[in-house]
Formats: sequence, structure tokens, C-alpha cells
Amino acid sequence: MGTMGLALPWKARISSLPRERGTRVESSEHLAGSPKPAAEEALSEDASLAAGCRSGDLHAYERLYALHGARMKNLARNILGNPIDAEDAVQDTFLKVQRSIAGFRGQSSFVTWIYRILMNTCYDARRSRVRKKEVANDDSEETPHFEPRAPGAHPSLRMALERALAKLTQHQRNVFLLYEVEGFRHAEIAGMLKMTETASKNTLFQAKKNLRQILEPPRNSAAEAR
Amino acid sequence: MRMNVTCKDRDRIFEDGSPAEWAAVEEHAASCPQCAEEVRAWKSLSVAAKELRDYSDSPLLWPRIERALSEDAARNAQGAGHRSWFSFLPAFSLAWQMALVGAFLLVLTISVGRLVIIHPQPPQNSDKSLLQSSALKEVENTEMAYEKAIDKLAAETKPQLENPAMPLLANYREKLLVLDSAIADLRAQAGLNPSNAQLRYQLLAMYQEKQRTLEEVLEAKPQ
Repeated sequence: MGTMGLALPWKARISSLPRERGTRVESSEHLAGSPKPAAEEALSEDASLAAGCRSGDLHAYERLYALHGARMKNLARNILGNPIDAEDAVQDTFLKVQRSIAGFRGQSSFVTWIYRILMNTCYDARRSRVRKKEVANDDSEETPHFEPRAPGAHPSLRMALERALAKLTQHQRNVFLLYEVEGFRHAEIAGMLKMTETASKNTLFQAKKNLRQILEPPRNSAAEAR
Repeated sequence: MRMNVTCKDRDRIFEDGSPAEWAAVEEHAASCPQCAEEVRAWKSLSVAAKELRDYSDSPLLWPRIERALSEDAARNAQGAGHRSWFSFLPAFSLAWQMALVGAFLLVLTISVGRLVIIHPQPPQNSDKSLLQSSALKEVENTEMAYEKAIDKLAAETKPQLENPAMPLLANYREKLLVLDSAIADLRAQAGLNPSNAQLRYQLLAMYQEKQRTLEEVLEAKPQ
């Protein structure tokens, strides 16, 4: 396999970075800003949130938003491409949670259930947007148009990655966003996307292989760049 | 214990390798330029993914969600008043609700079935053709009553009509023969199509006419 991303400005910098696998951010951790919670503590928090939301306590929803709102919006933005649609999707998700919390039986964790609702809401919104475009006889492609964000460390890298992600299958994109961007574990992703842990790992592997192919510049231009 | 990996193990470790296997593949990469490039490129994707993280604050989003949640809860509370009878249903999953509806329909079907078996409906109430048969029976009874009355009158008038003393009686006898012929004809047709109401009316009219004629014969009897 050839070298990757010769045209991208991040190649040299990331080559010297230590491997992140062992130190990856786990669920909710980087948002709450607290030390890594014990498994029981996380379960207890999850159950407490579910109970609060089931009883209609707005403070429970506020706590849920404080813990996951930013991450939910970020995930929605990466699927939908712009912050306005992302905020609408997050609000719709909260409303759907409130309306169907009575039907939540705890087969999966509460948070897993919420992210599943969020992703379904995002893809419903995407489909609805495509239908509207079809009605308006707009021939533009189905992939979302990504609006510029606040300047980051590598804006060109981010844009290249957004374009590459849009070319993946929906499943591959979901797993990549949930694992690599949002920091969920494969066990959690399996619950959200109704797949096995092994399938989640395999899908991530395929997603990253495809991303490499998409991001890798053609051999000729790579040679010219040298 | 040191773990030995080769270039062939690389993809498997990328997909689902343990921390020890990752350490081994990195150790191998130190002496294998191709694997070194692959490991670096693989890890770079994870680093690049962080560029898609934007957890900046959205100060207006929570107030907006909170308002929407409150309004939705208020709407639901209003709606709950209208469906208090079914307020227990949301506590069950959809599958249980469907099972409940199915069980209710089964009980209803069995109950109706038992009622039909224990208290069967009179056939005339449930079958329109039986009602027609009943009406036909009534018509036939009326015809028989006419025939009996006519037979009695005919027996009384027989001596006069066999030997008519007056031309009027001879005319009556001719008329009665025509009426008998018409009655025989209509009865034959009614036998083929007993439910034909028009035929029955004509037959009844003929009987009435014969009865009236026989009564006139009796009245014409010389004192």
C-alpha cells in the first residue's frame, strides 16, 4: 500500500504522535470533565437519568443535555452538515425521548437508546431534505453540504475528511463518527446500531481502509509533490 | 513475554488487536518501513478524526429544548384527559398492546359464538326466504278456504245448473265453466311458480268471481 495523505498538511505532525488506542477517551468522559468513572457509577448515572426522564423531571433532561448535548449536536452536525439542522435534530431527539420513555425497557443503556434515536432522527431529516430537493427538481447530490465551522487546527484536513466521509456507506460513516470522533466503545456502538461488537470492529476497519484510499492522492501527483 | 508478529498480522491487529499485539506490531514496524508507514497512516486517521470534534457551547439550545419539552408535556397532559380510559396502555409495549387487542377480540368472538349456539335465532327472523314461504303458506290457506266455500256453494247450486230452468241460469253455467277453466289454468301455472304473487292475485280474483257467481245462481233460484 502506498503512502497516505502526501497532499495533506497533517502528515508530518501525526507521524510522531503516540498511539492513542490505549488512551482513547471513553464514553462521556471528555465531556463531563471528571476522572474516568467506574462501570457501576456509569450504570447508576444511566439508570438515574432514565428514571428521572421517565418521571417527567425536567432537571433530569437538563442533566442529560449537560452530559451529552454537545456530543449529540456534534454527531448530528457531522451527519447533517450544518449546525441549524443539527440543533433541530437534537431538539427532536429530546422530544422523542420524552414521548417514548414509557416504552424504554432497559434492554440497552439509556444513553445508547438516546443516540440510536438521534441517529434515526438525523437520517430521517436527511431523507426529508432529499425528498424536498426532489420535489423542487433540484438535481444536487444527496450528500450533505458541510458549512464552515469555527477555525480549527487543520481546517483543510477537516474539510478533506468531511468530503471523504460523505463517500463512505452510511454504516461505515456511523461507526467511524461514533468511535473515532465521539469516543464510544465498540460495545456501545453495537447497541446503538444494532450490530455485534465484531461487526462494529470490522465496519470501522473497512471505513478506515476506504478513507485511506479516498484521501490518498494519486500516485502520479504524489511523485510530483516530491 | 515478547510477541512475534509479521506483516501478515498487520490488518488483523488493525481490526481487533489487543494492546500487546499493537505493541508488537509497532516493534515490528521499527524494522519494516512498509509496516511503519501503514501504522503511521492508520493512526493518523484517528488523530484527524478529532478535527471533527466541535463541542463549543450553544447557549440558546437548552432553553429552546426546555421550552419544547414543557409545551409537549402540557399538550400530552391535555390529551390524557380525553383518553383516560386507555391511560394504562402506554405502560405496555406495542407487542403487549397488540396481544391485548387480540385476546379481547378472541374473547368477544367466543362469547358471540356461545350466544348463537345457546340461543339460536328463529329461522324466520334470520332468513328472508323463509318469510316469503310463510306468506305463501298463508295465501295457500286462503285459497283452500275459498275452495271449500266454493265447493259448498257449488253443491247447493248443482241441481239448478245441471237442469237450468231459466236462460239466465244457462248463462251462469257457461260463465262458471269459463271460470273453472281459467282457475285450472292459473292453478297449473301457480304450481310451477308458487311464489309468483301476480298469479296468486289473479287466482284469488277468479275464486272471488266464482263465489259471487254461485251466490247469484242461488239468488236466481225460483221461489
